[in-house]
Amino acid sequence: MARQLRVRVDHLLCVGNAMCETFAPNVFRLNDDRQSEAVNPAGDSEEKILEAAENCPMSAIIVEDAETGEQLFP
Amino acid sequence: MLVQNDMFTPEVIADPYAYYGRLRDHDPVHWNEKYQLWVVTRHDDLVWLTRHHELFSSAVFKNDPRPPYPAIDESDFGLYEYVRNYQGDQFIQHDRPEHLEMRKVVHGYFTPKSLEEWRPFVRNAVKHLLDEVEEKGRMDVMRDLATPLPVLVIAEMMGVPEPDRPYIRQLAEKLLYIGRSEHDRMKPLTEGMKGMIEYVSPLVDERIANPGDDFISVLASGEKQGVFTRHEVLVNTSLLLLAGHETTINLLCNGTLAFLQHPDQWAKLKQDPAGAAKLATEECLRYDSPVKSIQRIATQDVEVRGKTLKKDDRVRWFISSANRDPDKFEKPDTFDIARWPNQHVAFGSGVHHCLGATLARVEGQEVFKSLAERFPGFQLDNEALEYQPSITFRSLKSLPIHWQ
Repeated sequence: MARQLRVRVDHLLCVGNAMCETFAPNVFRLNDDRQSEAVNPAGDSEEKILEAAENCPMSAIIVEDAETGEQLFP
Repeated sequence: MLVQNDMFTPEVIADPYAYYGRLRDHDPVHWNEKYQLWVVTRHDDLVWLTRHHELFSSAVFKNDPRPPYPAIDESDFGLYEYVRNYQGDQFIQHDRPEHLEMRKVVHGYFTPKSLEEWRPFVRNAVKHLLDEVEEKGRMDVMRDLATPLPVLVIAEMMGVPEPDRPYIRQLAEKLLYIGRSEHDRMKPLTEGMKGMIEYVSPLVDERIANPGDDFISVLASGEKQGVFTRHEVLVNTSLLLLAGHETTINLLCNGTLAFLQHPDQWAKLKQDPAGAAKLATEECLRYDSPVKSIQRIATQDVEVRGKTLKKDDRVRWFISSANRDPDKFEKPDTFDIARWPNQHVAFGSGVHHCLGATLARVEGQEVFKSLAERFPGFQLDNEALEYQPSITFRSLKSLPIHWQ
């Protein structure tokens, strides 16, 4: 089974570029301020989530292993 | 009348902060009668507006039937049609869903991770440019550093051979007339555009046949996928040159000037150039932003702060005033290179947030770091500074300095 991830978006950095929605559409959704939120960290594969994080122009997405706390991105 | 209506007067060009700041404080969604457009100046309004891209179209050239402003020579209306068709094919002049498909083709080339790999190239280019001037004791920051650096980087990204670079720079100079006010600006502008198409065409042919890892190959892959037409590939190649050129020049010149005018902040940078360069670059971007304003066209009637922006109205939002908004920034007129958080909008916001933002950041960080490492301090040759008569760009005409 795939490991559980903790995914957060730093709202001091997020500019609502929304590319994360394109790469991992089941994980990220824009809120009323049009900033991204990780609504379901298990919605897409780890690969897609990391791709979304890498493609964030502000490096605003933080991905961690939920169990060990190891930071996978950035 | 709160303010005079001409945004191109020498006073407004020299000090946009006083003029747009007055609007922000007293009439933040202001109708400019002379140019028939809305002037939006608050930080929160700018963020809201840019994040509601469905209400404000980026396809300005295609959707605006009115003649350009300031007025151009009537005999140049034919040239303007050429400019409209050319500009209209830039991916940034599209709305979703097309914009997303186009951006996806090029987005991966500009991620923070991809651009980190360019840092050594940028660092080396800065070193060579500074080696050239160090002994002389003086330079024009514009001519000797800020202009050649982005051209070197972009030429490398495009795979332009070295002997062609001066020609590319000449064309780029002509493309810059897009944001200016001269009544006869369509002539140099179209010359630049036609020159670019002519120069880039054989490069694109070659990359279609033999793809590499350069930026033209990336655009050409978009043509193969059916996302871009050939004309769009050509136009977007030259967009890289235009968008990555003037903006970076302004960041480097305006930032250097800010340090010259704030010796305490220069001293702070010198204490730890490598450590301070990142936040310092953000503050340079905020304090004297390379781009002053961007325009959209309303797609429907929209109410903003009690004003009704009608469908098809021109809406221009001002980065220069939003980045000095006291409701967003503490002591907004203070240049503070340790400022954090610093949610400036120098690169816009939302789905159209500047594609090249990270590249500009890397160039800014490397330049400010190297200057602080190598030079004790600078003095201006001449206190009188002149800016280009542009509503879009905050561009010095030159920045001659010297040092001991």
